Amino acid sequence: MSQERRLSVDSHDVTIDFGGGAGIFDQTYRIPEGTILGLIGPSGCGKSTTMRVALGLLTPQQGQISVLGTSPSAFTARDREQIGYIPQQFVLYPRLTVAENATFVASLYGMRTSAIKARLAELLDFIDMREARDRLGANLSGGMQRRLMLLGALMHNPTLIFADEPTAGIDPVLRGRFWDYFRKLRDEGRTLYVSTQYVGEAVYCDYVAVMRKGRILAIDTPAGLRKRVLGGEIIHISLEDERRTGEAVEHLRRAGDPVISARRVPGTDNEIHVTVADAGGSLPEVLNLLEDSDGPNMVVSSAQELQISYDDIFIRLMQREEAANG
Amino acid sequence: MAEGAAPEADDGTAPPWERWLIRVRAYFVKEVSEIRRQPMLILSLIVGPLLVLIIFGASYQNSTPVLRTAIVLPPGGIPGLSTQQIRNMASYNFTIISVDEDRAGAEARLAAGELDVVQVLPADVFATLRENQTSTITFISNAINPLVEGWVQYLAYAEVNEINKTLLRLAALQAQGEAQTIRLKVSDASGVIAELQAGVSQAQEENVRGTLADLIDAIALLQQNLPPPEVLSAQSADLASLPGQLAQLKANLELVVQAIDDGTVAQRIADLAAAQSDLHILDKTLELFVNTSADVMISPVTQQYTNVRGQAYAAVIFYAPGVLALLVQHTAITLGALALVRERLMGAFELFRVAPVNMVQLLLGKYLGYTLVIAASSLVLLAAMMLLGMPLLGSWGQFALLLLLLTVASLGVGFLISTISGSDSQAIQLAMITLLLSIFFSGFFISLDSFARPALAVSAAIPMSHGVAGFQAIMLRGLAPSPGAWAGLIVIAAITFGLVVAITGRQLRGATR
Repeated sequence: MSQERRLSVDSHDVTIDFGGGAGIFDQTYRIPEGTILGLIGPSGCGKSTTMRVALGLLTPQQGQISVLGTSPSAFTARDREQIGYIPQQFVLYPRLTVAENATFVASLYGMRTSAIKARLAELLDFIDMREARDRLGANLSGGMQRRLMLLGALMHNPTLIFADEPTAGIDPVLRGRFWDYFRKLRDEGRTLYVSTQYVGEAVYCDYVAVMRKGRILAIDTPAGLRKRVLGGEIIHISLEDERRTGEAVEHLRRAGDPVISARRVPGTDNEIHVTVADAGGSLPEVLNLLEDSDGPNMVVSSAQELQISYDDIFIRLMQREEAANG
Repeated sequence: MAEGAAPEADDGTAPPWERWLIRVRAYFVKEVSEIRRQPMLILSLIVGPLLVLIIFGASYQNSTPVLRTAIVLPPGGIPGLSTQQIRNMASYNFTIISVDEDRAGAEARLAAGELDVVQVLPADVFATLRENQTSTITFISNAINPLVEGWVQYLAYAEVNEINKTLLRLAALQAQGEAQTIRLKVSDASGVIAELQAGVSQAQEENVRGTLADLIDAIALLQQNLPPPEVLSAQSADLASLPGQLAQLKANLELVVQAIDDGTVAQRIADLAAAQSDLHILDKTLELFVNTSADVMISPVTQQYTNVRGQAYAAVIFYAPGVLALLVQHTAITLGALALVRERLMGAFELFRVAPVNMVQLLLGKYLGYTLVIAASSLVLLAAMMLLGMPLLGSWGQFALLLLLLTVASLGVGFLISTISGSDSQAIQLAMITLLLSIFFSGFFISLDSFARPALAVSAAIPMSHGVAGFQAIMLRGLAPSPGAWAGLIVIAAITFGLVVAITGRQLRGATR
């Protein structure tokens, strides 16, 4: 993770043990400012607890955490004014309109009425809810309620935004729009700390922390995470002549750099996975190794970088963790 | 959203003291807006109690219970009194269902709940009286309500008193009639004794003896029918001496008769003189007795009642300040009871804790919001009550201050309920229990004098107790509430505020654990 930018969150060995295996354990991670950290893991793995420690809602039993350069337990009002928070559930008021709900939250942060009006108009456009300005909270759809929560969290112009499963229970199209909002906010220089159950959403993040049973199994960029799991990037090759597949695998293994490893794809006769550091850069060289007329002189029918889904990466990480723990 | 602009948290923001106030205002505006969106709630706050008062005022008749009563007569009825007269005599205090001689039937209907009281009248009251014994009217009830039982006993006492008075009056009138007759006989007796003193023949002695014996019998009858000595004593010393005079005269006359029978009249000149003197004195006393009103004789003391205000208020007016206090307290407690538990359960506390707000700001905002709503609805209700004739004799300023204190103290109780409730329904249940406690122990319906001393501590802890007393003083008497009422509300408000801040602060800290 980059060390050049200032850190919005810096956690060292943070542990909260609720007993019975519940809690978070030995969490060490950093979030540079102006980035999106995605906290990904199954339900009950400790994502919300991790976030609540950073928000100062829970105090670590062990370890230290610093948010915006301050321990959350020592947050001043001024520190809190820099933080926006979208809780998991809709906690705004069904009998208030969208504008009144937003005004209420903004007022909690000490904003003057004139500032609220200007900011509200701006943000209603941002989240495409201008038409719903005077609609009661009770009359909003689930997706609109989530957007209202986002609106409330942004009203006071925070620099660090915590969003606890903001896309839970909403349709894929709206989930995509949420990530569009988040990336826009990131591009404006804000830091976002987002938890999600949807592993595929890792692709929208600058950094991804994969969690299981209260522990962070891995934290990296999405590409870095992929490399970490797969040992590099994968080139998927299909040979014209299936009888030479074993010969091709052996040849690639002996070839060395840039090939890190090569293996026949299980359940196929003519397909090979070649692991390299950089699939795009190494593809011509790998093809050359197989098609060299002075060498094996094989015919490759297709070759492309293999796009493994983040669900698969997540599953492999889980399996690796389980294997490591016996 | 400002394109590409870096976040500027400090830009154009208010100074800290203004932010503090803005946060209080946030809760205030939020609460008022939420209630504003519930027209049925506002309507029920004002129209509900008003309707109850109007219905109460239109339908309330009196505070004495209706007691369905059967009168059981002795066999053959009561000589000299018709059934209608008996019914009339008892119907002042009891609702007479039947008058007959069927005691078993009446008791069966009492047991079946068809009657509330059975009155069993004694046999000939006058005969019993003549035998110098009291008669007993038996009242039998099946009351399960201690207040009703108290009423039955009181009304029975009143009825028996009234009957006694009537009987005494009849006896006094009868005695006065007899006394009038005796006066004529006294005059005759005085004449014959004078003749006897002058000396009479044997034949004339017989005539004198007959006159005197006739007077002795009349005196004996009067002695039986004279009103009780205490009744005579209450009138005058002269009348008090009447029974003694009668006894003495009767004894002297008997001596004279005896002397006539023995032929020793000449030796009994002194007795004749004494009898003559007694007759003279008795005549004066009888004259006084006859001329004394029977009503004055049996009721020497009467009452005169004056209410310096003219008269007491109608029940609906008397209870109106209590209804106002009840409305204010119950609304405040219910709103307060739901306020915190609702937000705690919906997760808003987590949002509050992340934001730069504190418990005092949260509570102040809610206090202000609810106080405004309750005060506004109370004033509308008050205006409607005044249109119905309820006065406000005291200071408007004191009224407003008391309303404010009652609201704040009641909100404190409501918030306290909210802090200890685990759910909306539990909060409502506790609010209802508080309402029940208030109705019993606030002095609204049952006077606080009716309770043992420990219950007064409970009463003092109920804001409505101070509200009822205070509103009644200001509105109906034009007086300032007692210092105890002010102090009670201030203490309740302060203690509940402190407890709520402490408990909710702890809950806020633990909201996510």
